[in-house]
Amino acid sequence: MTPTVELLRVRKSYGGFTAVDDLSFEIPPAHIFGLLGPNGAGKTSTIRMMIGITAPDSGCVRLFGEPFRRRALRRVGYLPEERGLYRRMTVGDNLVFLGRLAGLSVATSRERIDAWARRLEIADWIDRRVDELSKGMQQKIQFMAALLHDPGLIVMDEPFAGLDPLNTMQLKDVLVGLRAAGKSILFSTHRMDQVEKLCDSICLIDRGKSVLQGSLSAIKARNGRRFVQIDYEGDGGCLAGNPLIDSLNDYGNHAEIRLKSGADSQELLRTAMRGLRVIRFQVMDPSLEQIFIDRIAGRDD
Amino acid sequence: MTEFSIHKVWIVAKREYLERVRTRSFILSTFATPLLMGSFLILPALISASAARGIVRDSERPARVVIASDNRALAELVSGELMRQRGTRYEPSVVSPAAPAEHEQLDRQLDAGDIEGYVWLDGPARASRHVVFATGRMGDFILQRRLGDALSYAFAADRMVKQGSSAGDVAATLQPVDLTAVRAGKSSSMYNAVRGAAVVLLLMFVMLFSLLSYGVMVMRSVMEEKHSRITEVLLCAASAQELMTGKILGTGSVGLTQIAVWFTIAAFGASRSLYLRTAMTALDVGPSLIVYFVVFYILGYLLYSAIFAGVGAIFNSIDEAQQWNFVIILPLIAASAMILPVATASDSAIAVVVSLFPFCSPILMFERLAVHDPPLWQLALSLLLLVATIGAAMFISGRIYRTGILMYGKRPTIRELSRWLRHA
Repeated sequence: MTPTVELLRVRKSYGGFTAVDDLSFEIPPAHIFGLLGPNGAGKTSTIRMMIGITAPDSGCVRLFGEPFRRRALRRVGYLPEERGLYRRMTVGDNLVFLGRLAGLSVATSRERIDAWARRLEIADWIDRRVDELSKGMQQKIQFMAALLHDPGLIVMDEPFAGLDPLNTMQLKDVLVGLRAAGKSILFSTHRMDQVEKLCDSICLIDRGKSVLQGSLSAIKARNGRRFVQIDYEGDGGCLAGNPLIDSLNDYGNHAEIRLKSGADSQELLRTAMRGLRVIRFQVMDPSLEQIFIDRIAGRDD
Repeated sequence: MTEFSIHKVWIVAKREYLERVRTRSFILSTFATPLLMGSFLILPALISASAARGIVRDSERPARVVIASDNRALAELVSGELMRQRGTRYEPSVVSPAAPAEHEQLDRQLDAGDIEGYVWLDGPARASRHVVFATGRMGDFILQRRLGDALSYAFAADRMVKQGSSAGDVAATLQPVDLTAVRAGKSSSMYNAVRGAAVVLLLMFVMLFSLLSYGVMVMRSVMEEKHSRITEVLLCAASAQELMTGKILGTGSVGLTQIAVWFTIAAFGASRSLYLRTAMTALDVGPSLIVYFVVFYILGYLLYSAIFAGVGAIFNSIDEAQQWNFVIILPLIAASAMILPVATASDSAIAVVVSLFPFCSPILMFERLAVHDPPLWQLALSLLLLVATIGAAMFISGRIYRTGILMYGKRPTIRELSRWLRHA
């Protein structure tokens, strides 16, 4: 299947500063892709090149299987990080304007606005002025604005910023639904918990360079399964000095273990069962946050 | 990225237009300005007219003026001439001979308000032709001017009589000349200098004010979109050129709407007010002048709004842009300073040059067209230069705009700006 987005060795610098350096990734259809990185890593610059706001200095961007053309943007929905609505206009007028600019007729725009407003439970807010809305509410409106023209690719910069858990859940359900409908979704964030729950694959960038990318499960597998927790009865001393173990935290009936690289956790289980009564044995996935911190903090400055 | 969709320009312009036209400040300035202007125009006329009719006189009685002189014949001539003046009622009386005691008596009467003023025409005053009018009504310029006229008349007549002229001779010689100015080439329309100039000034003020306020409005609007990051969403659906064009056209249409309303109100006022009608016919404010106004207004607006759009894209706040604003409006200030010189010497070399200079020509070439027909080649050249400058301004601003609207934070240096220009 043709990837919805392909970035090929894309580079962009502003003056002497290289914002994006030799970055490549692709996003297949029906896929949620997380673009991660600390502040100033080049996330926004990357997004801007993807949606044609700026052109890359070198490398190429392909959307829907073709080299970038403005026409392709009709199939892209974009949610910027902050605001992005006319404050003195009503929600409805804002949405109709953006819908029309995206190529919809007034009637179609209104129809879709009504449908989305009902779905997101904001029908009462359509005639209110944007500056009367809370930040979270504005975020929902912008979310609608990005989806109004039924885009095949949805690009979102920090979509959950400012939303309460209930609204977060609502939008997450919408995104999952969109993925099921075959849409590609890219969102940039530094909130790892959301990425872990939603993303199929990620690209972690730092200082414009890709540090880590691939499917979430592959990344986790590659980065470890090296953490083990054991609840036990008996003398935990038999674990000490085990050649499989890199570090050990023994609490008397609970131990947290980091395995040496390449060590097999099943081997450890067998060893433990010989000396202890094992109540619980769990191989922990490293959290994405842990990987993120390891990768970014471990860089040589 | 070269496609340019008129449809998108239209959508952007329409939004811009509707948002601005619905604001309270637009409605207020559109309808309050003509009211204010009208009252500025009409009130002085009303006041002087009613003063002439004696309505605002404290007691509606004629102004009593005493002419005191040893020369009774002269005093009678002054008095007679004052009585002859049209429109106003004066009640001159003559005191002759004029002893020093009379002087004190007159001062007392003046203090008591029994008379409005007196002139003391003694020998030295007659010899030097320098006469003092003692009055409690310093502000009554009409009385002072008429009294001055009457005195000049009386001095001349007195002299002629002494030289042996007959009364009829005197009257015929001193009969005032009635001057009527007629606009060259348009003999049918009477040109009244004062009233005509007022209308031209008014039109130029409207143009200046409108160019400035709508230019700044474009700048603010660009900054607002930049600030709220709406630009990023918009750029996903439309190109920077489409956005800038739409914004300039939309805001400009608001200005044109306002001016159309003002013209309509003025036309309505003219149909009701004799004063406005004479002022307009005096200056031939006919269709051609309005066409000139609209053409130069549109061109001037395109030039200045293009520049303001570029400046709006460079800066992040109005405060930052303030200094540059001044540089932009400098030509407009210069043009307003040139309004009077150009009016008095419409064909002088300087007037020709400034009316060709594109940053001033919307105002000054329009002025020359209004007061006097300049040669056709000058009109054509000024239009050509103006259009060429608009093209250049649009090109430069367009390049700055499409980079600038995405740059936040630090203000760019001149070097960075030139880089935006070269490869945006």
